Amino acid sequence: MARNFTEIFGSVWFAIPAAVTVIMGFLAINALMIVWMERKVAARMQRRMGPTERGVFGLLQTTYDMIKLMSKELITPRHVSRKLYLVAPVVLFTPIIAICSLFPLSENWVFHDYDIALVLVLAFSGMAVVGIFAAGWGSNNKYSLLGAVRSILQNIAYEVPLILSVLAVVIMARTMSLHEIVMEQSTIPYIVVQPLAAIIFFIAATAETNRAPFDIPEAESELVGGFHTEYSGMRFGLFFFAEYSSMIIVCALATVLFLGGWQGPILPGFVWFFIKVYFLIFLMMWFRWTFPRLRFDQLLRFAWLLLVPLALANLLVTAIIVKLI
Amino acid sequence: MEMISDVYRGFRSLLKGMGVTIRHFFRKPVTVEYPRERAVVSKVQRNAIVLIEKDDIGSHNCIACLQCEKICPSNCISITGSRKDGLAFKRPDTFDLNFALCSECGLCLDVCPTDTLGYSKQYDKAGYSREDFFYDLLDQWKATEETALGTLREIERKKKEEREARRKADAEAKAKAKENDDGDEKA
Amino acid sequence: MPELIRVGRDEDRDTYHLNMGPQHPSTHGVLRLRLHLKGEVILSADPIVGYSHRAHEKMAENRNYIQFLPNTSRMDYLSGMIYNVGYCQAIEKIIGLEVPERAEYIRVICCELNRISSHLLWYGTLLMDLGGFTPFLYCFEDRERILDILDLVSGSRLTYCYGRFGGVTEDVDDKFLSETLAFCKHLRNRLPEYDDLVTNNVIFQNRCKGIGHIDKKTCHEFAVTGPCQRAAGEKRDVRRDEPYGIYDRFDFKVPTRTGGDCFDRFMVRVEEISESLSIVEQAISKLPVGPVMAPKVPRKIAPAKGEYYFAVESARGHFGMYIVSNGTEIPERMHFRTPSFSNLATMRRVLKGSTISDTVAILGSIDIVLPEIDR
Repeated sequence: MARNFTEIFGSVWFAIPAAVTVIMGFLAINALMIVWMERKVAARMQRRMGPTERGVFGLLQTTYDMIKLMSKELITPRHVSRKLYLVAPVVLFTPIIAICSLFPLSENWVFHDYDIALVLVLAFSGMAVVGIFAAGWGSNNKYSLLGAVRSILQNIAYEVPLILSVLAVVIMARTMSLHEIVMEQSTIPYIVVQPLAAIIFFIAATAETNRAPFDIPEAESELVGGFHTEYSGMRFGLFFFAEYSSMIIVCALATVLFLGGWQGPILPGFVWFFIKVYFLIFLMMWFRWTFPRLRFDQLLRFAWLLLVPLALANLLVTAIIVKLI
Repeated sequence: MEMISDVYRGFRSLLKGMGVTIRHFFRKPVTVEYPRERAVVSKVQRNAIVLIEKDDIGSHNCIACLQCEKICPSNCISITGSRKDGLAFKRPDTFDLNFALCSECGLCLDVCPTDTLGYSKQYDKAGYSREDFFYDLLDQWKATEETALGTLREIERKKKEEREARRKADAEAKAKAKENDDGDEKA
Repeated sequence: MPELIRVGRDEDRDTYHLNMGPQHPSTHGVLRLRLHLKGEVILSADPIVGYSHRAHEKMAENRNYIQFLPNTSRMDYLSGMIYNVGYCQAIEKIIGLEVPERAEYIRVICCELNRISSHLLWYGTLLMDLGGFTPFLYCFEDRERILDILDLVSGSRLTYCYGRFGGVTEDVDDKFLSETLAFCKHLRNRLPEYDDLVTNNVIFQNRCKGIGHIDKKTCHEFAVTGPCQRAAGEKRDVRRDEPYGIYDRFDFKVPTRTGGDCFDRFMVRVEEISESLSIVEQAISKLPVGPVMAPKVPRKIAPAKGEYYFAVESARGHFGMYIVSNGTEIPERMHFRTPSFSNLATMRRVLKGSTISDTVAILGSIDIVLPEIDR
């Protein structure tokens, strides 16, 4: 298998669109699967059926939904700030494609293996909040603005423990390349040696993706729809797509950092990778359909007073132990 | 220390909640898949009213007394009736129900003197306009109306005969009694 | 580019007004709250009601007493049975009509089942306001069984018109009784599960504890009744204080709490569910045989000239009926004292200083039904 799109296509100008298409296709298929899974899991936890009509077990239901969203008229409300309103979904979505190109799906399935891939992943995932804020501010709607403000505060609060917990792994692996971090875990996945970091990472990641119980920026019972109140049609679809795509990303990152990536017995690497990612996604859904939403100040207190000190302590202990060994 | 126990207890409660949802995850759904399966409808399910068949007549026994029309709080029943030849009671010519107004209180059933009102069993009626809910309750009885009238006349005739016979018998009995009384008095 | 959000007047640029509702997912219908906010903190809140006003009181002045029966359950559609039966009891008391024993017991069973179903719906919607969707559907699953049970006797699932002056329309059968007992058992097993999922949940407790205080004084000033009042420590329940029907024959506790915050109101209602279950079980065990309708109900109901007041305990509090008769078949005036109205009135005081997130929790916890407020 070729390591590089540029080698296949000869020119970088063909390689980039091809790569974007591949990633979009990959994300679309996965996002549709996850939305279906979410609906099915939610339904089963609530003793309902979930989608059953289209396709086997309703598998095609989400595809139909997407076609519906695409064929809807794009309404731009008159009161919005047009430029911000239009650019927000794109700003939210673009970094996700970039991040996706960095994950090693198996030993040699990776678009490009950077030395500092981890930094890139974290940097790009921090950009999502810009898109959300643009949407909230540009919508010129009080609910949206509140949602956007909440989103920023939440992202800042949870980025810190997220990075601190990742740092512990980096200290242990002594590398920032995702590929090498996975290789480091060939004997024992980091979740065993770094359980606290894993838990903190996962909680922070749930908050980063605005998933329940941390879904306060969109809190439909408080802020109607939060930052995407004013969006409809495929623009809303992009927000929706972005939410599920970022779920894939954080779960993939957690898999790489703590669960040993593609490594596992018997089955081929990418199968293991997807099993782990989908297990984590199931865990996120399980949270969402069990817990009520946190209040805003509790959320911040939880991040600053519990997660950050814990992550710091964990980092310190890790550093000392690594130094001593 | 207190904080640690708080955190511990908090996480334990969260895990317990997750235990509840995962238990339900593996249970059977309770959904009744409506068009494929049908829920069992209660025997006394309230619905649009219909005129129910009376066995001895072979048709409804509405006498157009307008009691139901009068008591209906929503004014959704309108009846016109007229006297038919050879019948003691009136018979409805029109019996219209505007089901869109009906609140299913069942007061019309309570006041019906001949108990000929009942509830329809069709619970999934839907329509595109309000006219779809204007029901003509006599519709289903139109075909049998002539024979029903015949039966009613027959019943009426029999009743009349019975009455006549009873009156005759009564009169005879009275006369006899009077005779007896007279006899007694004489005796 | 259009002007962006205007924030307040020039002198207070950092405050703004927000109309929450009448189309908002968690104002429970068509309540509109006019909030004056600074950031997310509420400076003042104005509940504005009347969006679903259907003039029930005016309707009552244009029809006779019996024709008003279907209206009763449409005021508070979540405890329609209690309203319907309560209205019947009021008229029966006014005209001095004896109700057969069996009918009285059936009424109690149905009313208490209705109270449970109302509380279950409240439980679910409160959790949905707090962002937990699953408990909502569990509650609906259980509530569905109550609706099916009540459907067996009354023929309707939500807006019952089961009571009649002098009794009830249908007698209960064995199926009803066995299903009710089975349901009581089922719900008793289910409540600990709810506790695990909701009551003991740390997120839920943190969301509910310490917000929305309605203290005794506020209760007195605003005439707050029902679970909201009991959560403030006031042990008042119409069923216990001025027993109507046959409530004096049952052994039940009136659950109270002292704090008066959202969590206390929650706990009071949860305890009420199990109290109601015990009332239902007692009533079934004592159910006598006999008719369910008084033998002689006057066709014409015309109470003597005068003013009458009768109150029952609905799922939300003290529901009073004030009836003025002029001696004819049609009432001169009928006024309804609905509990949600007074309970909602406290919001102006209670919401001050809380946040938008708390607002939905507090609104959810006082359990308002808008059609009941607007009538």
